[in-house]
Amino acid sequence: MEQEKLNTFIRLLQKVQKQPNRTFDLGLIVKEPKSKMSSVKILEEIKKIATIEKITYDKLSVDEDVIENLVNIFEKDKWVFLEIKKDIGSPLLNQLKHLANYNSFQLIDYKEKDVFEMKMPKNSRLIVFAERDFIENKITYTHFYRLFGPTLSL
Amino acid sequence: MNPEKFRYKSPEEIREEEIEAKIKEKGPEGEISGGIVFEEEIDSETQEKKKYIYIGNPYEERPIITKLETGASQEEIEAIKKEIIPMKESFEILEAMARTYKHRQPLLIEAPTAIGKTYLADKFTELLYGRGVKPLDFYCSGQTDVSELMAKWVPKVETEEEKKKWNEFLKSTEAQIEISKIAQEAEQKEKLSQEQKLALIHTKLQELAKSAGLSEKTQWRFQYGAVPKAMGTIRNPDGSFSFDEQKGMGFTLHIEEVGLAEPQVINTLLKLRGKRGQLAEEIQLWENGGKKVKSGPKFWAFFSTNPPEEYLARNEVDPALARGVVFKRMGELSEESLHLAADYYFTYKLSEKPEEKPEGCILDIYNHPEIGGEISKVVSAFHNDLNKELKKGEKGRQQKIPLTLDDMARVADALIDEQIRDKKTGRLDLAESLKKLIHFYYLDRLADQDLKETMTANFEELLNGDTGKIEFEGEVRTRKEIFDILVERASQAKEEKEETPEETEKKKAKEALRDLTEFQDFFEKDLEDLGKDVEDVCKFEGK
Repeated sequence: MEQEKLNTFIRLLQKVQKQPNRTFDLGLIVKEPKSKMSSVKILEEIKKIATIEKITYDKLSVDEDVIENLVNIFEKDKWVFLEIKKDIGSPLLNQLKHLANYNSFQLIDYKEKDVFEMKMPKNSRLIVFAERDFIENKITYTHFYRLFGPTLSL
Repeated sequence: MNPEKFRYKSPEEIREEEIEAKIKEKGPEGEISGGIVFEEEIDSETQEKKKYIYIGNPYEERPIITKLETGASQEEIEAIKKEIIPMKESFEILEAMARTYKHRQPLLIEAPTAIGKTYLADKFTELLYGRGVKPLDFYCSGQTDVSELMAKWVPKVETEEEKKKWNEFLKSTEAQIEISKIAQEAEQKEKLSQEQKLALIHTKLQELAKSAGLSEKTQWRFQYGAVPKAMGTIRNPDGSFSFDEQKGMGFTLHIEEVGLAEPQVINTLLKLRGKRGQLAEEIQLWENGGKKVKSGPKFWAFFSTNPPEEYLARNEVDPALARGVVFKRMGELSEESLHLAADYYFTYKLSEKPEEKPEGCILDIYNHPEIGGEISKVVSAFHNDLNKELKKGEKGRQQKIPLTLDDMARVADALIDEQIRDKKTGRLDLAESLKKLIHFYYLDRLADQDLKETMTANFEELLNGDTGKIEFEGEVRTRKEIFDILVERASQAKEEKEETPEETEKKKAKEALRDLTEFQDFFEKDLEDLGKDVEDVCKFEGK
């Protein structure tokens, strides 16, 4: 594994806050077609640097449950490794965009609040993992790459 | 006699001129510092002291100035202003927002990614309500469901297994068609009261559940979507939100990427069209038996989208939607604005500077605007070139990824503490540090290897080549040479500043000794020359 590249990716994800809102970036790890790296192996490597939990978003996942999982993990000040295996549904996309723009969730009628807002803890980060072919051919949201700051291609 | 020469100005006219002068105010270096003006005034009707903001485009000779009431304090307004790069395009957008907000007109801005639509919607909301207040955001995509925008019935389920079954069922096309049929049926039963319509909806939903093999005893909960929520939202003093469908004040709703919305979503958004080009005063939700939600006085809808050429498939803004809103189309950021933005990022004007030098920082470049100014010239030129290429699309990638100002912001932020030391001088190697960050944030993302190689060579040429050379202090130099000179000066000044009194004394003594030695050398040489001259004269006389 290109350890140095991964270290730089993590370091910049940890440190860089964009002016002027001081927001952190969401990170993207793209698995290239020829790569033999598995998400498990990458996750193991990241675990050496950060406390992270994995969420898999696949055909069995319900957007609202994934969002709840994200909220719960962030409440514990941890990082999230979100592996995407199906096209992103509108509720999850809304929250990913909100996290990318403001580092916060904004949910309507959630946890008994008309508008629920929760700031991503300053020590938490979100890394999305997906395969290149999947992003290019299955993700219908045409601005997917723009959700992220650092992108690591492995 | 010309009567205009003797015309007295009314107090209103004098006041208008005062505000206009503040809007057009410029800083000591000619930079725009107006555009937004805060004033506290006594309301003529209630005699209450109220806070207002005036917004106008300072680039205009005769700007149209809009006055809006604000919940923000003067300090907050000043802080928000500092976070807005005073580009011409930013003020065009803010001016359009202020004017349409004042007249309760929906606004749609179609503009490229980098122009800052989302950011300015965010700042405009802060200008109205105070720091940290965000608009209600809704992002459209091909997957957007109408019910998320308007309203939906949600089954109350207990177990995870039940929840999964229900979710699968409700996501199916069949269920969605059936649910919309139920709402239509309720709409058509004109003679039924609202309560009767609600009862009908409940019965139909239970029948639907039974037909799908789910429990018909399931209770249903009505959930409003983003549009009615924004219409009837009340922003409480503690910053939380509550909702009153009849008496809510309303809030700002930003619907993003409306160009990606499917026709059924657009049809739903058309419900927001009211009389005389304004926003609708109320909407009726058939999903809830025809109950009406009133639009509060502070409700305002702002739509944004990227130009169709930025999408894979050309999604023109729906003509019906375009007719129902104030539609503003904007082009690319001008090179002048791009450079201004780069200057703001690399001279670190937009946010607080680190109090202490962070780890990894060799030279505190955030305290040296002369260095930032030179970096901004290089980065904005490179950004502009690469963006032009990316707009054409890349080989090996279907999605187009045009650059945004965030890319620059990232490089600027990382440059504070991702610095490389020059092994010869021990000082910051600015050109090398910048090169590394440009690679990481701009070039490593490229799928097109040919483009990557070309842009790498272009950046190298910009730093070290002849084409990148510019005149600097009377001499034509490469950018790297300029960086080195500026870094050397800043480092020397810093080294001097950091000296202890003993070190300064030692240095002074050293310098004095050096001067003395130089004088001695000069004197000895002079004496030697004099000796030779005397010798020559003696030889001559002797001759």
